[in-house]
Amino acid sequence: MRYLLRKIGLLLLTLWAAVTLNFFLPRMMPGSPTDAAIAKLAQNGPVSPATRAAIEAQLGVPTGNIWDQYVAYLGNVLTLDFGISYTFFPQSVSELVLTALPWTLVMVGVVTIVAFVLGTLLGVLAAWKRGTFLDSLPTLTGTFTSAFPYFWTALLLLFFLGYVLQWFPTSGAYSPRATPNLSPEFIADAAYHAVLPAVTILITSLGGWILGMRNTMINTLGDDYVTFAEANGLKPRAVALKYAARNAILPNLTGFGLALGGVVGGSLLVERVFAYPGVGYLLYNAVTNQDFPLMQALFLMITVSVLVANFIVDVLYGYLDPRTRR
Amino acid sequence: MTLLDVDDVSIVYEPRGAEPVTAVRGATFSLEQGEFVGLVGESGSGKSTLGFALTGLAKAPARISSGRIAFDGTDIAHLDGEDLRRQRRGGFAMVLQSGMNALNPVRTIANHFADIFAAHEHVPRGRRRERAVELVEKVELPASVLDRYPGELSGGMRQRVAIALAMSLDPRLLVFDEPTTALDVLVQRAVMDTIIELQREENFTAILVSHDLGVVLESTARVLVMHDGVIVEDGPSARILTDPQDDYTRMLLSHYADPRAEVVELPGLRVAGSQISTTGEPPAEPATDAAPSGRAGTRTGRTRAAVVLDGVSKVYPPPRRGEDPVTAVDDVSFTIEPGDALALVGASGSGKSTIAKLITGVERPTAGTVRLGDTDVGSLRRAGLRRLRRDVQMVFQDPYSALNPLHSVEYTLMRPVVNFGGLRGREARRRMLELLEIVGLTPVEQFAAKLPHQLSGGQRQRVVIARALACDPQVIIADEPVSMLDVSLRAGVLALIEDLREQWGVSLLFITHDLLSARVVTDKILVLNRGRVVERGETAQVLRFPEDDYTVELLDAVPQPGRAAD
Amino acid sequence: MTEKQATTRGETAGPTEPAPSGRDEVPDGGADVARVAAAASPLTVLGRAAGTIWSVPKARVGLILLAVFVLTAIFAPLLAPYAPTDNSFGRAEGGSAAHPLGTTTAGEDVLSQLIYGSRVSVLVGLVAGFGATLIAVLLGMSWGYTRGFAADVINFFVNLFLVIPGLPLMIVLAAYLQGGGLSMIIFVVVITGWAWGARVLRSQTQSLRSRDFITAAQFSGESSFRVVFREILPNMTSLITGSFFGAATAAILAESGLSFLGLGNTAMVSWGSMLFWAQNSNAILTGQWVLLFAPGLCIALLATSLTLINFGVDGLSNPRLREGKGR
Repeated sequence: MRYLLRKIGLLLLTLWAAVTLNFFLPRMMPGSPTDAAIAKLAQNGPVSPATRAAIEAQLGVPTGNIWDQYVAYLGNVLTLDFGISYTFFPQSVSELVLTALPWTLVMVGVVTIVAFVLGTLLGVLAAWKRGTFLDSLPTLTGTFTSAFPYFWTALLLLFFLGYVLQWFPTSGAYSPRATPNLSPEFIADAAYHAVLPAVTILITSLGGWILGMRNTMINTLGDDYVTFAEANGLKPRAVALKYAARNAILPNLTGFGLALGGVVGGSLLVERVFAYPGVGYLLYNAVTNQDFPLMQALFLMITVSVLVANFIVDVLYGYLDPRTRR
Repeated sequence: MTLLDVDDVSIVYEPRGAEPVTAVRGATFSLEQGEFVGLVGESGSGKSTLGFALTGLAKAPARISSGRIAFDGTDIAHLDGEDLRRQRRGGFAMVLQSGMNALNPVRTIANHFADIFAAHEHVPRGRRRERAVELVEKVELPASVLDRYPGELSGGMRQRVAIALAMSLDPRLLVFDEPTTALDVLVQRAVMDTIIELQREENFTAILVSHDLGVVLESTARVLVMHDGVIVEDGPSARILTDPQDDYTRMLLSHYADPRAEVVELPGLRVAGSQISTTGEPPAEPATDAAPSGRAGTRTGRTRAAVVLDGVSKVYPPPRRGEDPVTAVDDVSFTIEPGDALALVGASGSGKSTIAKLITGVERPTAGTVRLGDTDVGSLRRAGLRRLRRDVQMVFQDPYSALNPLHSVEYTLMRPVVNFGGLRGREARRRMLELLEIVGLTPVEQFAAKLPHQLSGGQRQRVVIARALACDPQVIIADEPVSMLDVSLRAGVLALIEDLREQWGVSLLFITHDLLSARVVTDKILVLNRGRVVERGETAQVLRFPEDDYTVELLDAVPQPGRAAD
Repeated sequence: MTEKQATTRGETAGPTEPAPSGRDEVPDGGADVARVAAAASPLTVLGRAAGTIWSVPKARVGLILLAVFVLTAIFAPLLAPYAPTDNSFGRAEGGSAAHPLGTTTAGEDVLSQLIYGSRVSVLVGLVAGFGATLIAVLLGMSWGYTRGFAADVINFFVNLFLVIPGLPLMIVLAAYLQGGGLSMIIFVVVITGWAWGARVLRSQTQSLRSRDFITAAQFSGESSFRVVFREILPNMTSLITGSFFGAATAAILAESGLSFLGLGNTAMVSWGSMLFWAQNSNAILTGQWVLLFAPGLCIALLATSLTLINFGVDGLSNPRLREGKGR
């Protein structure tokens, strides 16, 4: 219980730090992002004082008390008020972010869990059958594929499976004629569209999980409790899973939490290639259009998602390791 | 009935990219059902390798290159996989040296038992809990440990659990590989007693693999002595004690003695009983004029100073919130006069290492004062501490961790010579070679060029001692300086320490749990229990006629080959 | 005295007992432990480490691969048939004798661009990897020496940098610093890439400083500076090398990602910007798969070479990971 409370406290502290970082980033930058943003927005028509105030709260006012700005900013974040996007004028930033977020969360979330579970199992197998074909094949392939740039894998799959073979749709998250709803037809359509981006992330991230698990498991296989379990005549499968793998999963889980940010980053590039309407694609649009309010809000949301995912991993860790329960 | 028949077994290590090493050469012996046999050898003798092979645990890069290990008629040397696994129930089991790490940290003790019962299906599901309780009670643990995780148990308890787990296989042969080495002295004794008792009651055949001939002679009826991969002696314990056949066994035996004896003799060392006790004077405060002439000044002419602890306590803040603060040292006072040697003895947790930290200024006392001459050690700042180190030096317990693996002996010894001696260039080097000569590492030029891994444990410890001497200190604090060394190497290092004290007049604080070594190198002794002094006086007097129960307990923990014969 | 000398001579450095199941110490495995007597100058330590890495087959392949890329980058002007920005050729041509890999939609020679592109990746990998490792070493070691509240604060910040998704942060920074070119990219990559190394080096520093030889060095009157640089640092060679290659790999992949998004200097020829232009000129639709395939393969191979080298480096610090059959 104390472990859980500590982790919740840490989560809140980290969230606060991320929000604060987000506040200071545009204010530390050379030039004035605020002026640039307002100038951009002026192209869509006159800027109302309310809009100007919103942007200033987001990106900073050249003059004025930084503390007051900070308090106002915290208020905005808590009410999810990130101002107006000028790329997608007159939609509000929070509206855009909230539309894009589910696509990324579901697609990246599902594929990451699948990749982690699959990679961990392959890693266990590789370590257990060390020095055999079952070790060298996944290890070497994994080393190579995890060095692939995400967007390159995406481009290759898009080219060969999308354009040349035309097995899968080449862009978007659902057919142009469909409207998002929760009917089985729509979900099937969305899943079909998600195949290529998902497979890209799977191919590129799988190797890391395999290698990580293999290395930690090779370490636990050398531990005394494994030798002792063998001396007691436990079945090899029990030794491998209940003893070696069960202990190796713990450090690997920490690694999983820390590597999550990398996967999310990679998925942004993948979304760009497949024009998948998640936060990554939106972020790309925001950046190319210098839509700073939208960009800031997206960065914050991505960070918060990763922090929350990390928190869940921490809780799971606490559940799996009896030593944290004391 | 012959249970185990080992016939001409050789084992080689074939590490990749290195020369193969033959660890065991032509081992031949057989064991009768119910025998308790000791397998003794120093590090590198191949005893553990043989122990692992006997229980079918020899794994790459180790390989049984020739010979037969017949267990109840079946050759298990070349058995593999499932066939070998089936042999384990009702066959052979092993208790590892590091019983503390032999348990899976994420499974409860009950699950450990359940795993074994499930693997061999020899205990019906409904009776498993009951059987597990029976087993842990056999090793004198309460049934409640079954629901605990290994991390919640002490080292001794974990080793007992490991023994109970091995017993759960109903083995006919049980190999104990250094079952008590990693434990605290007093716990060692208790666990060893449990093992002896169990063997007697259950009448399984047992092999006790140990580096300590004393422990083995005390517990077993027959002893095999291994040296360089060869079994050099095989005979009943009583005969080996009185009439060892092999020179090596004889040499090992010569390194045991009873610290209670009137005259204690080790190779190169001899101490007779306390003179003071014969004159009838009270062994209280150390005599101030005891320092013989020649000890008044250091080699470099500085005046000698005494180490004085006065009412010293050290309290550490609670390890976790809500717990009590830990009192490591509780109101301890003593004086080490120049040139004196004081032993500080006690089991682990008695506060003896904390006292070393207080004298070296690494920790500050919570109450009381620590003084070296006129210096108040507890109040020294950075620069003062640096000056203090010129006078107070340490010899560490673990010679493998006390030398930087990347530095040559020359580099290691040159540093204090340059830093404290103010010598440079050729002069510094001459001093460095002189130090090697003093600690007996000759030819000096050869040893100067070596790296730590090229030295044996005893040689490393000599380098550590040379380093401590380099700045010509007034006080040397030796923290268990021989406990990590093979028994046959201990006397040499102890003799060196004793010699240094006599020749250079260095004061010595000798911290140990081993009363035998305390007896041979110190004049006075302080017995610590939980931070408090429970007994003090002349070493010979205290050890020969102990008054406190704790001192007696410590004395009983010293292995004495002769005891079993009594 | 004579007896004492006898015992001294009796102690010979016999072979250490091979660990029972060959786990912990492979008797003559080599590694950080040197075979020759020599003082531990940082150079000899590095030299020994290099020798050990070379003895691991996977790492050897990686080293050769890396050498090929580095040489290509250095001698690009000699190797490339044309200047990388020379757009005087036919547009979007397929492979031919004059242009083995064809030309881009802008009429540049693909092979020449590929050869010159190696310069950016190798440079970024080297410089950003070095920068990130430097921060990691300085911070990790001082952190390992800090206790109490200050250590908690550093711990919090390092963990923050570890969990904050790196690429989005880089994208945001790059968006604000637009037009900064290569140095901006290197700066951004360094800022986001040091945390992992700092964490690893911190825990190693902590475990080393509790070893007796560090206390002994202090008792030998060594200054803190010397303790850190002559006693602790040389014992971390393998970990530092490992974090360097790890950081360099991450830097190369990050640079290519940013360039692919058009956030670097798109006029500069790099593998990432080649893919940026290929995507923007719809190379997919025109079927110029070489344009997509070749730059990405180069990035992947360069990154793989560094990962392969790290297989050898892992073996330096962790004997259990050394090559060989486990069971």
